[in-house]
Amino acid sequence: MKALDTAKLSDLAAALAEAGYRVIAPVSDGEVLRLAEWTAGDEIRTDGFAVNSIKDILLPRSEVIASATIDGDAFSLTDVPVEAPKTVALGVRCCDVAALAMLDAVFNWDYEDAFYNARREATTVVALACTTCDEQCFCTSVGGAPDAAPAADAILRPADGGAKLALETQTDKGAALADAAAGVLADLDVKPDPPADVPVIFDAEAVTEWCAGNFESDLWQAVSLGCLGCGACAYACPTCHCFDMQDEGTRTAAVRLRNWDSCGFGLFTQHASGHNPRPEQAHRWRQRVMHKFSYLPERFEVLGCTGCGRCARLCPANVAISEVCRQIDQEAKAPAP
Amino acid sequence: MSVSESLRTEAAALLADGRVTMIIASRRRGHDCVPGFFTNADQLDALDHDPDQQLNPAAYLRKEEIRRQMPVAVVARPAVIRSIVLLAAESQITDDDVVILGVDGQTFHGVLDLAAAAALLKAQYPDLGPDDDVLARVDELNAMSAEERAAFWAEQFAKCTRCYACRAACPACYCTRCIVERNTPQWISTAALEHGNYAWNVIRAFHLAGRCTACGACEAACPQGIPLMLLNACVGRTVEAEFDAKVGYDPEAEPVIGAWREEDKEEYIR
Amino acid sequence: MTQTTPPAAENVYQTTTMTVASVRDETVDTRTLRLEFDDEAFKAQFHERYRVGMFGLYGLPGSGESTFCVASPPTRTDYIECTFRKTGHVTAELRDREVGQAITFRGPYGNAFPLDDWKGRNVLFIAGGIGLAPVRSVIWNVLDRRDEFGNVTIVYGARTVGDLVYKTELDEWDARQDVDLVTTVDPGGQGDDWSGKIGFVPTVLDEVAPAADNAVAVVCGPPIMIKFTLPVLAKLQFAPADIYTTLENRMKCGIGKCGRCNVGSLYVCKDGPVFTVEQLEKMPQGDM
Repeated sequence: MKALDTAKLSDLAAALAEAGYRVIAPVSDGEVLRLAEWTAGDEIRTDGFAVNSIKDILLPRSEVIASATIDGDAFSLTDVPVEAPKTVALGVRCCDVAALAMLDAVFNWDYEDAFYNARREATTVVALACTTCDEQCFCTSVGGAPDAAPAADAILRPADGGAKLALETQTDKGAALADAAAGVLADLDVKPDPPADVPVIFDAEAVTEWCAGNFESDLWQAVSLGCLGCGACAYACPTCHCFDMQDEGTRTAAVRLRNWDSCGFGLFTQHASGHNPRPEQAHRWRQRVMHKFSYLPERFEVLGCTGCGRCARLCPANVAISEVCRQIDQEAKAPAP
Repeated sequence: MSVSESLRTEAAALLADGRVTMIIASRRRGHDCVPGFFTNADQLDALDHDPDQQLNPAAYLRKEEIRRQMPVAVVARPAVIRSIVLLAAESQITDDDVVILGVDGQTFHGVLDLAAAAALLKAQYPDLGPDDDVLARVDELNAMSAEERAAFWAEQFAKCTRCYACRAACPACYCTRCIVERNTPQWISTAALEHGNYAWNVIRAFHLAGRCTACGACEAACPQGIPLMLLNACVGRTVEAEFDAKVGYDPEAEPVIGAWREEDKEEYIR
Repeated sequence: MTQTTPPAAENVYQTTTMTVASVRDETVDTRTLRLEFDDEAFKAQFHERYRVGMFGLYGLPGSGESTFCVASPPTRTDYIECTFRKTGHVTAELRDREVGQAITFRGPYGNAFPLDDWKGRNVLFIAGGIGLAPVRSVIWNVLDRRDEFGNVTIVYGARTVGDLVYKTELDEWDARQDVDLVTTVDPGGQGDDWSGKIGFVPTVLDEVAPAADNAVAVVCGPPIMIKFTLPVLAKLQFAPADIYTTLENRMKCGIGKCGRCNVGSLYVCKDGPVFTVEQLEKMPQGDM
């Protein structure tokens, strides 16, 4: 199979950069491991978990979606160019790739989001199979696997005890990428390492079913007490896509920005009248879990959670959606009296 | 008795005689210690002391769901006790709302009311604040030119995603409508771009002037590794020096920036 | 690096512009803008899609957008109208627009009242305060197609006389022989000249007691009014599937992507804003 030394992953990145790809890969800034633009000299990490996800590439933190020039009381609308450089997401975990189905569905639901679609089209996704996992991983509980990424264009599989990476292409885009990297890939007889053993910790179907009938449960209050209402989980999550639209401008020009937002924030659903349908964190936590495990599956037949565990790793209060789901699963199977 | 055992014993007693309806402590989950909220004696087996806790549980005292349960008990290390004292000084809580279970590493300081907790701080922890290495970095920054320092912070704030984990983790950030949430006018851009990020981080540090207890929860909360302790220490150091005041030791203290005294320096008025 | 720049028409967040043709104050803080299309191509595709009940996003660059129903019916093609209360900075700036000045518009979005299903039936309209705005577009739509429907009854009230909106149109409806209009103000809200009823809308509805037989009802108003009106309609034997309302929720994109407006699994911008009470009863009340 086509393979390379794991230690030479930067050479692969260099070859792809040479071929015109913007390379986004897991790199460390000394403190934090992040999916970021690779530049020569950066080490691409195949261990650890990036604090951000593939979502950053497809839905930037902030982008202009409309604009105008202003002249006194009058204004003229101006076109917004879509920036979609040819990109490779090199070494994203399978759980990141699993999010693509959800994002593709929402951003093409009746109205096709040209910004998202252009970037999606321009991005070649190279997954990295996992041979280790940590306590926060739960891909196998939500229909995923540490070593399968059907939506990826290609997948890198650690082999020979981690010394090598075997590249398996899955689509034409993946094949094109392999061609571009032909110089650094060799035909080697390598033995892919066994995938990480990710224990199943809850029954997602049972969670979906329980959610449908338990909107008013006391459980929401109990599981959300620890939540401090920040957006760390939503921003890190590969499927969370909720956004805000905000205008900014001067006397002569204005832009309409699309910025990340989170249903966990207190004012997310605040009406101008002062009424808030979700005034407390318990209501917002219910929305979070229901959206991922009940509403999105109902509308798109895909779960809104891929078991990547970022939310739990980054939560300042260690709130873990996997723990909440486990509690729901237990509750569903043996309801408290 | 280990600290955990002491906490469980005292927690059980507090719940049993109805002195509090909830204990805010930690519990074990796999290899982690995570926040735990105990309302019932038979839950207390799960209560475990977290000597490495970075979260500041005083932040929970602003949550409506927690306030409805008051009085509550909070397992508090010295920096957390400072925060609770600050909240009392700023009239966010009263003596009756909180019982403190004082801890420090492997020491249990007992069940304390607000006055006793403040006294403990004065007696045993009079010099709480940022670590020496943080203070050394403050000196390094202050030795830089303004341009260099601005560039340093710009590089840090570029990482900010405006998740507001820093704000959520901070007990002193309890405004029901934060300045970033005000939109008539929109004082601070909400976009995770340079201009808004700079404004947000600096303004939050300014709003903490004289109020930050250097607990480190904000920096621990930041998913992007921004050195928020350093930022807050830059401001805090100046305030402590200029106003000769250390927050979080006196529940009756007036807020440093909010109070005015005749003897305040007026050299900046020219 | 390759860049893709699709034509502006493909940008689903791109707005068109409308020019203010006239301005009318309904109350001290509520204003109606009549807007004319600046773009003929947009106007054509708007009318292909617009059915009464749908909403739009009205805004100003640099300020933002606000969501209001389209307050005029599709039977009137040269303009659209919106009625809104000055509440925050976007509505304040929209309110400051003068005749001849432009605003941005996106829409129409959402679902519509199924007028074709109501042919031959009696239509009962119940509204409170500014809640008359979305109902008014349905009223005019029905009146513009008057022969297609049976009896038309309107029960409308507000806190005080000053809070009644579309006052000149109330007079027009009152003058018509083919419309039965009942107006009311809350006790204490009447002026010296008030000749309508005095009482809360649900109470007055109960007195008027329109027949449910072969009828549909359209209800919109403050939550408290809806809460007390629905039991009266039930008492009058209106079936939940025959009672229509329009929901509001905080919106940003209006097209089902920003994740903000859902009530349970239904998105107000896509599955609504028009819902029957039968649908409402299945939606989680705790998410409203």
